[in-house]
Amino acid sequence: MKIRRSAGALTAAVALSLLTACGGGNAAAPSSPGGQGGKTLVIDTAFQLKTTDPARMYEPSGLLIDQTIYDTLLTFKGGDVTKPIPALAESFTASDDAKTYTFKLRQDAKFSDGTPLTSADVAFSLNRVKNVKGNPSFLMAGLTVTAPDPATVVIASEEPNTAIPFILPNPALGVVNSAVAKQNGATDAEDADKTDTAEAFFNKQSLGSGPYVLESYSTTSQVVLKVNEKYWGTKPAYSKVVVRNTQANVQRLNVQKGESQIAVDLSPEQAKNMGDLQVVNGASPNVFFLFSNNNPEISKISSNPKFQEAVRYGVDYQGLVDLAGEGALQAPGIVPSLFLGALPAADGVKRDVAKAKAALAESGLQNPTVKLNYPSDVQVNGLNFGDLAARVQANLKEVGINVELAPASVQTALESYRGGTEEMGLWQWGPDFPDPSNYLNFLPGQLVGLRAGWAEGANPALEELGAKARTTVDDAARSALYVDIQHKMNEGGPIVPLIQPAQILVAAKSVTNLQSNALWLVNVRELG
Amino acid sequence: MTTGSRTPWRQPLALVGAAFVVLWVLVAVLAPVLAPYGPVDQIADKLLEPSAQHLFGTDQLGRDVLSRVIYGAQVSLPLAFLLVALSAVIGSIVGAVAGFFGGWVDGTLMRLADLVFAFPGIILAMAVAAALGPELRNAVLAVVVVSWPSYARLVRGLVMSARNSEYVAAGRLLGSSSVRTMIVDLRPNVAGPVLVMAALDVGNAVLLLSGLSFLGLGAQPPMAEWGSMVVSGMDYFDLWWLWLYPGLSILTVVLAFNFVGDTLRDALDPRTARAIRG
Repeated sequence: MKIRRSAGALTAAVALSLLTACGGGNAAAPSSPGGQGGKTLVIDTAFQLKTTDPARMYEPSGLLIDQTIYDTLLTFKGGDVTKPIPALAESFTASDDAKTYTFKLRQDAKFSDGTPLTSADVAFSLNRVKNVKGNPSFLMAGLTVTAPDPATVVIASEEPNTAIPFILPNPALGVVNSAVAKQNGATDAEDADKTDTAEAFFNKQSLGSGPYVLESYSTTSQVVLKVNEKYWGTKPAYSKVVVRNTQANVQRLNVQKGESQIAVDLSPEQAKNMGDLQVVNGASPNVFFLFSNNNPEISKISSNPKFQEAVRYGVDYQGLVDLAGEGALQAPGIVPSLFLGALPAADGVKRDVAKAKAALAESGLQNPTVKLNYPSDVQVNGLNFGDLAARVQANLKEVGINVELAPASVQTALESYRGGTEEMGLWQWGPDFPDPSNYLNFLPGQLVGLRAGWAEGANPALEELGAKARTTVDDAARSALYVDIQHKMNEGGPIVPLIQPAQILVAAKSVTNLQSNALWLVNVRELG
Repeated sequence: MTTGSRTPWRQPLALVGAAFVVLWVLVAVLAPVLAPYGPVDQIADKLLEPSAQHLFGTDQLGRDVLSRVIYGAQVSLPLAFLLVALSAVIGSIVGAVAGFFGGWVDGTLMRLADLVFAFPGIILAMAVAAALGPELRNAVLAVVVVSWPSYARLVRGLVMSARNSEYVAAGRLLGSSSVRTMIVDLRPNVAGPVLVMAALDVGNAVLLLSGLSFLGLGAQPPMAEWGSMVVSGMDYFDLWWLWLYPGLSILTVVLAFNFVGDTLRDALDPRTARAIRG
């Protein structure tokens, strides 16, 4: 610090605030709607985008973009992710052991260069996802894809896997034109992670059969899609789609001024008083949850079952929902409300301070102090972990539990979370695919269970139910099992589901049939 | 050293500055009396507009913004004083030693100071704070790390020009030790400019601390700190009361200390004052 006159200090203050205020900035304005005779749609979103190569793509903005370019075997309609519906596959059958799924392909699908789409393209695309070992390859873990004849695709799983129809709609499993892809360095061989060199090509030119093709691509400013002239299905309403990288507060201004038609990342507060715009309000499939580490070696306090009970009944769920804003919900169980097997809202745990205090008294702990870890530099659906943590802190204070907040940058916090060393943690789970089997990760001895110090054998009855759910094919039976599992999880244990934040789309009135989808946010194909 | 006249304190800016300094110090001291609510109490509905009940409105957790601004003074001001005092003491000692002994001692210490000067202050402070972990205590350390060299350089220059004067030589001849010479003979020549610089620096320190908190490297939730209050208001452009009042607090404190510092310079250090006026 040098001696500066006041003007200098002032400039610094202003510069600092401007720096952040303009973060993201305003991407280049697109040509006015109506260019080339068709309508142009502008979507503003804060980019989480690394690539448009389906085999390597697993980020929210990539899902939105690839969903318009590539077709998948099955898909979802509107916001309903509980029923996979036919897309490239006309129909499918599952074997009773949930290990073999057979798909019949439709015959009229073709790629944007006019070549017909066959089962060989499907097998190539899916095996490539698996072998490139990119971010989405876990979707194909344990699956083998074969093409016995040009109209049939068989997916075989090592383990019973009831989630396959729910995994397949993921745009990462979009079908690419295998002939052109191979000419440009793509391969589905086992060593594709070393030999596949097609990513750059996919970012220049798309190879899909969907209603749009890639016109230009930048991970920092915007991605432009134009209509696929040879699309085999119904032509989409917009001839051009511009997806721009914009921060939420700028998105709000743009959509109000009519510079964009859809804003994707607004928080409930930002979406208030939108005047002549439509606001599509849905719950997000992301679930915020709290855990008290069950491992006595990590903490004698948080592993105390009565302490865990005190936390469960001490949290003011309704207060957290209010904090998260309109459209948010209490997560009644760990499976989000939009999915098969979700608990009805009435089954959620309700705050009971007297019960919490009684449990704390029984625990034998005197004025316990615990550390609550959370990532402080990320937002999910416009919601800060820090605000939720401060509210939980205040809730538990009323019960007699002192919570020390321990925020950290997400990289640092993830380390202790994944290592299972956090005394208490406030985290969020976004589904890998919209199927309740994804939430078996929360059981004892599984991925998230272990992060909460919940070791295998901690709750045998629950674990048995989980094993049964893993292999049950029938949707009604599956659903009943997951309901059972969540009731048991709500009775006791280290994990407390808190809320699902709101997922809000704000759009011009001219955009019709807009629904928010848990997987790809906006289905541009369906818009009118 | 002549003490100028009393005129500098008659200037309106000086009066305004001094008034605000006194005001903010009073607010910090009397925070528990003045604040209508506790700084972290979630007592009301969230995001209420300013009203008679909540003069500055409430924030996203239903905390009273007025109370948080008032308690924020308790965080920012003492810390700013503390860290300016720390950097002034550390910097002055380093500078005095360097200037008095010269030679390789001077060379080593001043190269160290140059090293720190080579980085923009806020960037270096961010690096230090990030390395130590985001905590208010570490943010204070980070600001000290970047601010001591200015004092070292100032004091070194003053000591170098004074150490060869005849009264110092006379003192040395009479047998006074190096430490005694520095403290008794040189200190009075150095104290004025250091005081001026420190007064100017308080504003900068408040700003830098708020800046670090703004970036998530300083005060941690739920502590009421102005910089972190501004950043939580950033998510809500329309809800002006969330960021305006803490922002104004930073602004008035920084301005006030700069005015006071300028005035002090006019009073204590007429040479620089004249030089700057030209």
